[in-house]
Amino acid sequence: MTQTTKPKLIDENGRRLDGRGPTDLRSLKIEVGILEKSDGSAYVELGKTKVYAAVYGPKEAHPKHLAIPDRAILNCRYHMTSFSTDERKILGMTRREVELSKVIREALESVVFLEEFPRSAIDVFVEVVQADGGTRTAGLTAASLALADAGIPMRELIAAVAVGKVDGTIILDPSDIEDKYGEADMPVGMTPSSNTIVLLQLNGKMTKDEFKQGLELAQAGIQKIYQAQREAIRRKYGASTTEV
Amino acid sequence: MPIYFNEREIVLPGQLLSDDSRRAGEGTYVTNGKVFASTVGIATIRDGKVEVIMLKGPYRPMAGDMVIGIVSDIKPIGVEVELGSYVTALLKVKNAKELLSLNLKIGDVIYARVASSGLKGVLLELNEQFKKITEGVLLTITPTKVPRLIGKKGSMINMIKKITGCSIMVGTNGFVIVNGPSPTSEFAAASAIRLIERETHSQGLTDKVMAYVSRLVGGEVAYDTNDKT
Repeated sequence: MTQTTKPKLIDENGRRLDGRGPTDLRSLKIEVGILEKSDGSAYVELGKTKVYAAVYGPKEAHPKHLAIPDRAILNCRYHMTSFSTDERKILGMTRREVELSKVIREALESVVFLEEFPRSAIDVFVEVVQADGGTRTAGLTAASLALADAGIPMRELIAAVAVGKVDGTIILDPSDIEDKYGEADMPVGMTPSSNTIVLLQLNGKMTKDEFKQGLELAQAGIQKIYQAQREAIRRKYGASTTEV
Repeated sequence: MPIYFNEREIVLPGQLLSDDSRRAGEGTYVTNGKVFASTVGIATIRDGKVEVIMLKGPYRPMAGDMVIGIVSDIKPIGVEVELGSYVTALLKVKNAKELLSLNLKIGDVIYARVASSGLKGVLLELNEQFKKITEGVLLTITPTKVPRLIGKKGSMINMIKKITGCSIMVGTNGFVIVNGPSPTSEFAAASAIRLIERETHSQGLTDKVMAYVSRLVGGEVAYDTNDKT
């Protein structure tokens, strides 16, 4: 993977490197409630990107002075395992991971009813086991499912996906190579029914029209991911609750 | 009054349930006069209210709940009690004499009524229902499954009590005390509780539990390898 020259990202037929069209998602796999020791958990696989999320709590906030009298605090840790990338990632939290933890936490805070659990803390752990672009969006998708699995009341689920711009074309769900050699990368996180944007970042350059087009494309992708989220939850809970 | 779900359907957070905000029950929230689900659960209508029955989730203390807790600290103003919840409860005492008369140590298990729960924290009541538990096996189950363990008018719990001969105390917070005449009967009751927790929403559970408990009490060896109690 030591490419120094920019590869052709979109061929003559409009296909991408992995054979997708510009508006296609990678193969998506979502599972809920897979980690036994956590209160809620989820696994999201988007192509080669693989992410686990786990939720612990609500529990008592420690240290105690951090507790807020009228609502819960949400702690979030986004972390990439050292074997998740081509080049071994150094141990511990890098600047990038600290930033993404904050971004994911703020997205989740906007949907969770924190005021239902005064003086407590909810811990969210997002662990990337394999990274191939779009880990923060996959992480956010997984984290919101894990919160729902933990039974924590929330306004809505969150689904997230990135859009990018490569070779002048707006594409959905860019992979690592497309992200590296493309002109722009824009992760979008939304609540699927009320269409509220909870996360939006943009790296690179896009015109106003491209931005609009990208947002619409992301919205379409988010609806697809939301369907998969629903199915995953129904699969987990439907089996045990066929009839009561 | 339109309803947007099928009875007993599994709903997700954010799913529209009804247009009538007056019908919002537990597990729901209201925005713009519409009722949405706030947790994953089974949607149902109870007493004219739209409710979502949680499948899993933390215990939220409410005034009037009878809970079982573990004493975690003793302070001049009262006794701190762990409820297996996100917050510890406080059992307030009037004076040092009263505190002494309670004769509680850290690690003791008590049974008490929740007096209030809110921004001031969770307070327990020191009334005639208050009890210090001196013997038995302490089990914990998911708090959302407590109603199923008790059954309609106590049918499930009474059946287990009758067959095993154990006395069983259930706290709304998911703590259960089993106290029986022999280890076999205690084991049978504990196994039955675990079975109910595993298969909360299956049909004919009472009959299944009855058969299971009868077999265990009968002395037949049916050791459940999944059971770590």
